[in-house]
Amino acid sequence: MTASQASLTPARPGVRDSHKVMEGDGQRLWRWLTFGPALAMMVALTVLPIANLFLTSFQNVTWADGKPTRTWAGLTHYEALFSDQLFSAGLWNTLVFAFAAVAGQMVLGFAMALAVSKITHGRVFYRAIFILPILIPGIVIGAIWKLMLNFDFGLINKALGLVGLMPHDWLGSSETALLSVIIVDIWHWTPFCFLLFLAGLETLPQDVFEAAKMDGASAWQELWYITLPLMIPTIIVTFAFRLVLAFKVFDEVYLLTSGGPGTSTEVLSFTLYQRFFTEDKAGYGSAMSVAVIFLVALLLVIALSARRRTGATS
Amino acid sequence: MTFTIPRRTILKGIGAAGLGTIIPGAIRPLHAASVAPITVVINQSPWFESFRKTVEAYEAETGNKVELDVNPFAGSLEKQRNSVRASEGQYDVLIMNSGWFTEMYAGGFVEAITDIDPGFKLDPDVYTLGDTIYYNAEKKSVTNDGKLMSIPVSPLIPMLYYRGDLYKEAGLSAPKTFAELEANARKLHNPPEMYGIVQRGARGPHTVAYDFYPYLYGMGGGIFKDQSAGDYSVTLNSTEGKEALDYYIRLAKEAGHPKTAASDQAEVIQAMVTGHSAHIMMVIAAWSQMDDPNKSAIVDKVEWAPPPSAPGLPTAPGLGHWLAGISKNVPDDRKRAAVEFLRWFQTKAAQLETAKAGGIPVNAAVYKEPIAEERKYRWMKPLAEALPHAVNIYQFPEASEVIAVLEVGLNRAVAGEVPSADALNGMSDEIEKIMAGHSYKTGKLDPIK
Repeated sequence: MTASQASLTPARPGVRDSHKVMEGDGQRLWRWLTFGPALAMMVALTVLPIANLFLTSFQNVTWADGKPTRTWAGLTHYEALFSDQLFSAGLWNTLVFAFAAVAGQMVLGFAMALAVSKITHGRVFYRAIFILPILIPGIVIGAIWKLMLNFDFGLINKALGLVGLMPHDWLGSSETALLSVIIVDIWHWTPFCFLLFLAGLETLPQDVFEAAKMDGASAWQELWYITLPLMIPTIIVTFAFRLVLAFKVFDEVYLLTSGGPGTSTEVLSFTLYQRFFTEDKAGYGSAMSVAVIFLVALLLVIALSARRRTGATS
Repeated sequence: MTFTIPRRTILKGIGAAGLGTIIPGAIRPLHAASVAPITVVINQSPWFESFRKTVEAYEAETGNKVELDVNPFAGSLEKQRNSVRASEGQYDVLIMNSGWFTEMYAGGFVEAITDIDPGFKLDPDVYTLGDTIYYNAEKKSVTNDGKLMSIPVSPLIPMLYYRGDLYKEAGLSAPKTFAELEANARKLHNPPEMYGIVQRGARGPHTVAYDFYPYLYGMGGGIFKDQSAGDYSVTLNSTEGKEALDYYIRLAKEAGHPKTAASDQAEVIQAMVTGHSAHIMMVIAAWSQMDDPNKSAIVDKVEWAPPPSAPGLPTAPGLGHWLAGISKNVPDDRKRAAVEFLRWFQTKAAQLETAKAGGIPVNAAVYKEPIAEERKYRWMKPLAEALPHAVNIYQFPEASEVIAVLEVGLNRAVAGEVPSADALNGMSDEIEKIMAGHSYKTGKLDPIK
């Protein structure tokens, strides 16, 4: 009898391998003892808050005599999302911001990683220089760029003045405010893409490139037919990471434009902050939060399924 | 085992205890009892330094301890909400802005001062600022038939700052009407060296809306029909409202700064102190920066006037004041300690300290003191003239929702995204919806063209 046959053969009634049962129970207990605390932590810190958020999204919360009163609101908060002009402006701007900024970061980050991977001397120096923006706190980035983009004495307008061009109100004009924030985000987060791409490039199998060289492949052919296909899993993971993070952008918008002028740089996180915290609408803010979580999860699922389709393994 | 204390030691102890009681009394004033330490949550504003110095004077004078928790504007509100909604509050004294004090009163988060100490007397010279220091819980109104809920900390209203030196050169006099302001601003407008006026048109927590109130109310407009009578019908898109917004935008476009739609308080003050603006409409708290040689290029050149108004109407600056209330959810000894601090803070003597430290006194008696005649304090008389006309813009706890609507709508109009009529009609619709949602008696005007 083979091992597989043995496992398929039902045990005779009344006959039990007590040693194996005890071993199995012990293993199960050990598994729960080690896994249990982590599970309890996850439930307490992640599942319960999200469940509470979800529950609150169907309620109105008001305060009287220092105590909260929760009343059932049904789906009204979710319905209200569709007529909330700030929310629709925020959703549109967030999509534009996320895809434009991430696209810019991916292209620049890949180009920089490719360049640095070809360098034999001083690679550490270039790597250190390129990742500098990611090390700067958001509040400092806000200050740096607010000064750079200042209408009266900003470096950008000073440079324009040197070539005879008129100064422009980069953050105060509806036409250029979102573009300015996107540029700041590209500057801030390109190093993140650069680092992931560089790590990916450094782990590519060199024998394929050597074989291509022997077959007379040009640099362009090497990039197009070997590097890019081999980098697809890294590209998709980087894209997914950055898209999710870009979707949650807050600090740059808060510091540079506060969502203005008008609604031209309104983004979802800022709308959420406005409704939930400034206006203190806990129920409606929770519904908006659930909607944002759903959208981010949807983006992640799409990105991961795309990765799976490429046949990449985790 | 027996334990005995020698009689001499006991006598020494009694003597030391007696001295300990007498000596601190001898070196400290007796009008303030030694009380529990308190914590005050406050925002970082141009007037904060004067408050800090006043608190230091209180500590030095009484020996009582006051800890300050200093935050940005929006952060201060969040911290206050978190504290008052907890089972026991972290902060004893809440420094509340005009945009959110009613939320604290109506939510039952602030205890009436006279409930903590029935013997507390408000100094008769303290400004009641549209009676916003009172709250009638039954009527849910901010009226003086209610209980005393707070003491004013900073009676902030916007004032017109103008360049006295330029006015003198051009032979101008301080504008009383909007027409005069516009004419003077146009005359002095010479960009990019000098802007006729720099306005605070950015979207923020309470930015462009606050800048717009003196124009709106000074031209006879308003947001609601009659809040005191409980009529919250929206009148923002009235003829006067449109006239005010058109004027505000015209001033920005033709005699103002090209980036008005992105200018916040710091940038407006910066434009003035760097000598690039002939006028600003700014809270009076910024006065000390004008004459500070470390911050200003126009020391001794700025003069002040009440915000202009339409002919026949009084000046109408919107209250942007700060009030100090006592949390309900803190221990009784800390509440009593907070009352002692407020009792001291409202006095003329304490408010003189505030003025000398660069703050704005809340006690009218200070404005009659010789200090008001000094060149350094030349803003005092115009301020005292304007304060009685200050308008309490919001008398209901959901004000933050209305402010959010105004911030977006007004900013869009200033940025040129939408025409003024569309902006006013859109804001009116949204405000009416908010008020109806909270079951207030409301309504709206027909859309203006």
